[in-house]
Amino acid sequence: MRQNLSLLKKWRSRTVSSKLFALSYSKGVYLNEDLDDLIICSHCHTLHKKIVLPHKKIAKCSACGHKLYSNVEDTFQKAVAFSITAFILFIVANLFPIIKVYITGTENDLTIPAMIITLFNEGFYVVGTIVLVVIVVAPLIVLSSYLMLGLLTYFKIFKGFSKYLISFLVVSKNWAMVDIFFVSILVALVKLFGYARITFGVSSIALLLFVIIDVAFLKSIKPIELWTYFNRVYDARKR
Amino acid sequence: MQEKDSKYIRCPYCESVNIDDKEVLYCRNCKNRISGKKELNLHIAWAMLITAMIFYVIANIYPILVISKLGVTSQNTIIGGAIALWEEGSYPISLIIFIASVFVPLLKFVLILYILTNYKKTQKGSKKIDQAKLYHITEIIGPWSMIDVFVVAILATVVHMTSVNITAGIGATAFVLMVFFTMLSAMSIDIRLMKEGNNGD
Repeated sequence: MRQNLSLLKKWRSRTVSSKLFALSYSKGVYLNEDLDDLIICSHCHTLHKKIVLPHKKIAKCSACGHKLYSNVEDTFQKAVAFSITAFILFIVANLFPIIKVYITGTENDLTIPAMIITLFNEGFYVVGTIVLVVIVVAPLIVLSSYLMLGLLTYFKIFKGFSKYLISFLVVSKNWAMVDIFFVSILVALVKLFGYARITFGVSSIALLLFVIIDVAFLKSIKPIELWTYFNRVYDARKR
Repeated sequence: MQEKDSKYIRCPYCESVNIDDKEVLYCRNCKNRISGKKELNLHIAWAMLITAMIFYVIANIYPILVISKLGVTSQNTIIGGAIALWEEGSYPISLIIFIASVFVPLLKFVLILYILTNYKKTQKGSKKIDQAKLYHITEIIGPWSMIDVFVVAILATVVHMTSVNITAGIGATAFVLMVFFTMLSAMSIDIRLMKEGNNGD
């Protein structure tokens, strides 16, 4: 059960005489360890103090209700598992036709590679490149970074590289637009509806499942969850 | 009171809390750059926004879809396509196309303009605004204007015969570039600009 944690207190400097910072300020030296106990809401920039969450609980912002973070270890295991599934689905979605269209006796299949090749053949290089990046390259980068992170954190190797990988993942997540592509397939279907006979191909289901996993899980992971997991894994190695 | 709150800044890459004490600030956790020089960031955001606006005008003037039916070519602009769908009677799709490709980019321009212009106002301390929320809205709605380009690409792939042929038009290129530059403009807005907007009452 996802519960809004009322325990999470608002950490505004107006209301709280911040004990954590009182010492650091007076000496003019800031302690980084103290800052790790704080979190700022990505939605409204309100400062909060972190608490340790029980299993399967979500921490939400006290000011706007936006998700702050959830129980970490569980999230990361799921992310790796889901990205393996999504990876297989994505390959299927790319290989087989999404829809088949019959107009005046001729059959045309819609596959993602065919779409990009058509754009390039017609001379629309800019459109073709951006479509390629947005619906093939960016999702692949997101998925493979999750898989790589899973491997690297399992063996606890290459700390610097996995650090770089997480920041890269956070940025490339904004450019993956498979969900929007799926909606536009539906729009195109309506446009074709009167003129052509349409059947759904194998990969329409694969694409639908991919979009569901992508939207419901992979895109909703907060960077803080990855970083907390990362720090815990690599700090454990030191001891 | 508000000063203390504005001393902390959120790293957009790892969400760790940093102390905002330098102009060019690197995250203490992930070593990525949180915030560069203020004026430079503003200029980049403005430049991207103006480029996007120019492409928006071009995308609306030139055809996005070229249909050749038995030797007769007809060219559809974005608004023309939406109107044609409306006249055919598929109102919801027409509305989706209209909202996604005409209204959303305009809304995004207005929001970014608002953030960029009101930043200077709040520095003078005249008005309180909630720019972080506006920015969040632009981030969410931004990519959805790609719908029209995808639809054109799908139609161009699927309808490809000797009797009927659909190809993309110049408008499609301009439209893609418009979306690209608006996203870059939104990304290059300094996180600090919004924070200062919040505390400027």
